[in-house]
Amino acid sequence: MAKLNACAQRLYRYDVTLPYAFVCMKKIHIVGLVIIAVAIGFIISVAGDYSSYETFERAMQMPNKDVQIVGYLVTEKEMYYDPIKDPNYFTFYMRDKDSTIRKVILYNSKPRDFERSEQLVVTGRMQGDDFVAKSILMKCPSKYTDHELVLSQQGPTS
Amino acid sequence: MDVQYIGEHLWAGQLGQLAVFASLMFSAAAAIAFGVGQYGKVDQAGWLRTATLAFVIHVGAVVAIAALLFLIIQNHWFEYYYAWAHSSRELPKEYLLSCFWEGQEGSFLLWMFWNAVLGLVMLWRRPPAFAGVMAVVSVVQFFLSSMLLGIYVFDYKIGSTPFALLRHEMQDAPIFQRADYLSFIEDGNGLNPLLQNYWMVIHPPVLFLGFAATLIPFAYAAHGLLSRKFTAWARPVLPWALFAAAALGSGIMMGGAWAYESLTFGGYWAWDPVENASLVPWLLLIAGIHTNVVYVHTGRSLRMTFLFYLLTFIFILYSTFLTRSGILGDTSVHAFTDLGMSGQLLVYMGALSLPALMLLVLYWKKIPSIAKEEEAFSREFWIFVGTLVLLLSSIQITFSTSIPVWNKLFGTNWAPPADPIEHYNKWQLPIAIVVLLLSASGLLLRYRTSDVKKFGRQTAAFAAVSFILMVLLEWHFRFSNAAGWLLLFASLFGILVSGYLLGRSLKGRIRVSGGAVAHFGFALLLLGILISSAKKEVISINNGMPLGAGFTEEQNRTNVLLLKNMPVTMREYTVTYLGDSAAPPNYYYKVLWERFDTATGLLREKFLLLPNAQINPRMGLIANPDTRHYWHKDLYTHVTSVPDKSKPMERGEPDFTEHTVALGDTIRLQRSVIVVESLGKAQARQGQNWQPDDLPVEVVLTIRMNDGRIFQARPIHLIRDLRVFHLDEHLPELGLTIRLARILPVEQKLILAIEETEPEQDFIVLTAIIFPYINLVWLGTIFTVLGFIMALVQRHRLATT
Repeated sequence: MAKLNACAQRLYRYDVTLPYAFVCMKKIHIVGLVIIAVAIGFIISVAGDYSSYETFERAMQMPNKDVQIVGYLVTEKEMYYDPIKDPNYFTFYMRDKDSTIRKVILYNSKPRDFERSEQLVVTGRMQGDDFVAKSILMKCPSKYTDHELVLSQQGPTS
Repeated sequence: MDVQYIGEHLWAGQLGQLAVFASLMFSAAAAIAFGVGQYGKVDQAGWLRTATLAFVIHVGAVVAIAALLFLIIQNHWFEYYYAWAHSSRELPKEYLLSCFWEGQEGSFLLWMFWNAVLGLVMLWRRPPAFAGVMAVVSVVQFFLSSMLLGIYVFDYKIGSTPFALLRHEMQDAPIFQRADYLSFIEDGNGLNPLLQNYWMVIHPPVLFLGFAATLIPFAYAAHGLLSRKFTAWARPVLPWALFAAAALGSGIMMGGAWAYESLTFGGYWAWDPVENASLVPWLLLIAGIHTNVVYVHTGRSLRMTFLFYLLTFIFILYSTFLTRSGILGDTSVHAFTDLGMSGQLLVYMGALSLPALMLLVLYWKKIPSIAKEEEAFSREFWIFVGTLVLLLSSIQITFSTSIPVWNKLFGTNWAPPADPIEHYNKWQLPIAIVVLLLSASGLLLRYRTSDVKKFGRQTAAFAAVSFILMVLLEWHFRFSNAAGWLLLFASLFGILVSGYLLGRSLKGRIRVSGGAVAHFGFALLLLGILISSAKKEVISINNGMPLGAGFTEEQNRTNVLLLKNMPVTMREYTVTYLGDSAAPPNYYYKVLWERFDTATGLLREKFLLLPNAQINPRMGLIANPDTRHYWHKDLYTHVTSVPDKSKPMERGEPDFTEHTVALGDTIRLQRSVIVVESLGKAQARQGQNWQPDDLPVEVVLTIRMNDGRIFQARPIHLIRDLRVFHLDEHLPELGLTIRLARILPVEQKLILAIEETEPEQDFIVLTAIIFPYINLVWLGTIFTVLGFIMALVQRHRLATT
């Protein structure tokens, strides 16, 4: 008895059952509960946003879901971009982790510096045998790290 | 065999290395001496004198490191790796500063420099308990100094020195066997062109000033725990916390301005991990400032103030770890070089955050608090709820940004959200609405108890006006979704309430209106974010290519091909690409924008935009946007593809066909008809000045292309010193080269030599976006920062009197 606060004591007197004890909670506890509920909602809803890195093979099995695939540019195959014909059509071939090679279509301009990219992450879904990308993330090691030593051709200048 | 290298300036690096050691040693000495001076029992004044001296020497060493590094960069001493990797000779002077902080070592140095400056301010003002604060500052300086060491201890590299030599970093290159290797190294690698922007000169220093400034609230809180004087620090810390909020906030938004002006993702915020990593500490700091103010007014929320201020700096450390350890890998465009220091960064993070959090847990019960619940209608309660919402926001951002960390920790293989903007907005938009509503109504409440009826009346009145304005604005903008309406309503409510309070305080209480100004700015900022992002409109959509609902791939079609001199209609504008001008390595693409009155067809507006691209031999094409600013919108354009003109085509002698014609004749070609209009003395042209005895004759030709385009050409026949020169018209985009070969005065005829080839098409691919009311974003930022500064001045006055 002594541990209950005034509000709860009043309810206790009227023999109110336990669920109504919510009424007697401190405001801050109610706020805390709401925030915890929202946080749980967040984690549940977010689980849908997080995908794992997939392969072309797996992407085939879920044609209606956006997936992300990590892979490498196949330099031996054709890379096509003719802005005069269509500035929003770019295709290339990519090899995924399982060494499957698929054509990737991007309905946008060719990303800058594409040839130099070492590793690619494409986001999108399969359409038939081709992968239609919404976005492409390139990892270009040259950009920040791979400095090359350029030497003068003429020899000593001074 | 030791080679005696020629032309190196080794003294600078040796001196610099010495300064790094001095900085490390004296920061350690200062930390110990300040600690003993604060917490010891004997000869406190003597210890503090020693500590102050040690700290001042440490500051001198930091300044020396920075000065030497700058000297090396400025003089292009490429024997030093840092200068070689981050600068080049042709780089404009103003960007030499940016080279300084392009590398990791330089940015640590910048951070250390600001800590040192703040430490000096602290030593100059000598507020109560300054020694306890300075002890923590010195510990941080010790860790930062160690980041610049670059020495090996048992195969483990500690730090990375900015004074490393190129020949040590690249030992395998055979060139370094030569004593005169330096004369072969003509130039450095240069500064990343994306960083060659004036915002990049000012954004990093301001951001790092913000990082440094968050240390002071942390140090105050840590001292409060260590000394078990839990309450004394709450007033003096406030101006410092407000200063940190102003600096960090402006630093973050300057980064946004840089991204908007020089990156091409089309916006100022992309929920990039690096952006998130600096936003989270700011949110926590804002929460801390609010609980701090609540404590000062009511004696509540002291525990939360401790928690928020400690977390702010801990998350600064975490963000440093995220962005510099290489763990983000390919999830961020802001990849920093991985210097292999992740272990050291972890130690730095752990050594400061773990003891601080443990102390907080240990003393949690001992920190004074008021047992009685706060009133439901009191400002402190609403602020408290608001800070919990900010905490929730921080947790969400941190959780999602840290996916690469979870993967590493738990061996999972999660990919970050495929569409980060959508993912974060889904959470942060409702949070922004709640924060706006809470903060605005909180402003209408009083501390402790409020007149509930008056509060109800005021809230209802403001809500009614906001609702009417919302309906009007919705009618104008058509957000057409509930989230947009709610955010619109919430930001209008925030603007009205804080505007009202601001107006009231203008009557003689301007000093205390910092809070109202900051809240006004914040609401304005969110309104600007809402309008400029929700109503952002890509106008470079290809004709006949409508945006199909649900066709996400189609939404990518944001590029328009502009052939040279071929006008294209984009919304109300007629857009023509006029050609490029090169100032290697930069190419500027002249794009003419004309707007005609829809009713009368008269030209209403005409301007040139010059989006440019740097064709960088090492990095390919790097585009820079050009933007037309109106008061109510921005027209933002950048090129996404251009023909590569860096290698000029080799032209041999043209394969001419001769045509003998009279004035008025026409020449039929495959793709055009040429009309010979008139003959006359040629006027001097750009780049051609006639000498007194010259005889320049030009023929005016009208070229009608089969597709209807009309051009004029004026080839010149020049007689100088009895010799004939031909100034041909070379029109590659028409596939024509025309020479006035001979003039036959007797027959009254001319001989035109014409070469017809495949037309070379000059073009650019352009993206154009309209950002409506984006100026509200910048204006809101300015008001927010101004509010912080006003509050800072006021709180400083209160703390000192």
